[in-house]
Amino acid sequence: MSVPNIRDCGPEGCSIDWLSSQRQQVPSEVMEFTKFATDEGWGDGLPLVPPTELRVREFLAEGGRYPDEVIAELPPIGAECTVEKIAVNAVMAGAPGKSLPLIIAAVEAMMDSSFDLGGLNATTCPASPAIFVNGPVRNTLQIPYQHGCFGGVATPALAIGRALRLIMRNVAGQLVGETSQATFGSPARIAGILVGEWEERSPWAPLAERRGVAGSAVTVYDAMSTLNIFDNTAQNGQEFLEVIGKSLAEPGANSFSPTVPFGGIAVAINPIWAEIIGSDLPNVEDVQELIWRHASLPIEYFWPKLRAKIEESGRLKADGRVYLVKSPQDVLVMVCGGTGGLHAYGMHGWGLCRSPVTRQVIG
Amino acid sequence: MSNVEKIYVLNPTAQNLADVTSPGPDVGNLKGKVVGFRLDIMWRAWDTVSEVWAEAFKSAGAAKVVFWRAGGRTGSEGERMKEELHQFIQSIDVAVFGLANCGSCTGWTIHDALAAADRGLPTVAVATESFDSLAKNLARRAGRSGLRLHVLPYPLNERLEDDVRQIARQHIPLILNTMGAAVLQKAVA
Repeated sequence: MSVPNIRDCGPEGCSIDWLSSQRQQVPSEVMEFTKFATDEGWGDGLPLVPPTELRVREFLAEGGRYPDEVIAELPPIGAECTVEKIAVNAVMAGAPGKSLPLIIAAVEAMMDSSFDLGGLNATTCPASPAIFVNGPVRNTLQIPYQHGCFGGVATPALAIGRALRLIMRNVAGQLVGETSQATFGSPARIAGILVGEWEERSPWAPLAERRGVAGSAVTVYDAMSTLNIFDNTAQNGQEFLEVIGKSLAEPGANSFSPTVPFGGIAVAINPIWAEIIGSDLPNVEDVQELIWRHASLPIEYFWPKLRAKIEESGRLKADGRVYLVKSPQDVLVMVCGGTGGLHAYGMHGWGLCRSPVTRQVIG
Repeated sequence: MSNVEKIYVLNPTAQNLADVTSPGPDVGNLKGKVVGFRLDIMWRAWDTVSEVWAEAFKSAGAAKVVFWRAGGRTGSEGERMKEELHQFIQSIDVAVFGLANCGSCTGWTIHDALAAADRGLPTVAVATESFDSLAKNLARRAGRSGLRLHVLPYPLNERLEDDVRQIARQHIPLILNTMGAAVLQKAVA
């Protein structure tokens, strides 16, 4: 097996072997390899690309990072997540080398002190880190942000989301039934939620820019699940936002539990409605405020025995309503989806992460 | 398999190779010791159990029983929790940390218990039956398979307070045994 003359060991050439992963002999045929890898606990049940040395070196060369760089110590195991381990898992998932900077930015964001990856990897909830992408990297990596962007559109970006899930499995050690107590789990735990924002159709500044990072960036959010919100009766932006807010006010949402310390909501608005809403509400803060206000329930809706705890949590306001999240700033708004309009997409937060985390994609 | 062509691949897993199989020091004689309970914001039943056990430990000679309540673990609150945990561990002789009664609660209970055990304190993590194996796996994978674990029945939080108190009382000799305080069981009984 010949190794191409690329930056496979570092800028000085290949005088030493920088790939420290154990070499393991496996069947070469894909389905045989997949069976082997799944039995070993490396896989998710779908076919895997054998991470040969050549493929991993090519991935690293394209990604432009040194394999021995430690990006993080991922919980629950606390073992080092090196660029090499990211590359091996990304190759298995079928992700391209040019996705390495995005994967690294996402991993770094998940390890921010505002994000409880340790708890999230162990929880009974179906939560997973959703990754919202802004900037030119959306197009470079074909991150979906138009029709069917949350699933269904054919895109190689699925493999990038899957790479992050395999990293959780193989590097962080998130194993269902062993270190993860997920009661039901979620399809998002297979290929993740990796969605771009249709910035060009948004009346507001890009999500990441509003969060202080312009250009190519990822925003990692602790998404519980996805909730489609349909409406064909609203006649203006305020009415559509009212439907969105009221639809999100589910009593079973984590954030309504007085024992959950934080909580957020992410809302994806389709470009047709975004334009209508934007003409009424050019400031996105007003959009957040309106969704926040309607995502609430009267205190009488809850058992009286919970009242003291709810008050303590700061979600019961003077108007006698319990608010799903503490403030309008906890409502994340982005624009994406197809031009069919009619729908919005809601994502309740898991509630144990202080806030979403935005990171620049470098490279 | 023998006729199948073989290739070499790179192993995708990362492992924490260190493992401490020792349970750590026994509590021994509780007399004069400060016992620290880790509470949380989720499980009122654990508050009740801790209250019952605290009285038992005091009866068994503990100088003091102190409580620390873990809150949100991210952002500025998370930083504060980290500092409070550090201070709490410095201030106690024995750690009884719970409650592993949900996925993330188990993750953080074990995380905090490992911090106490790493400091050399006699440490017990408390889990309910449903989260026993998760707690064990997390401790093992984090490099301390020997961590002492005490298991309470599940469901626990859903029971009436009187039932929880009864369970707590029944578990007094058992938790003392888990802690390595067997000598004092007679005194408690």
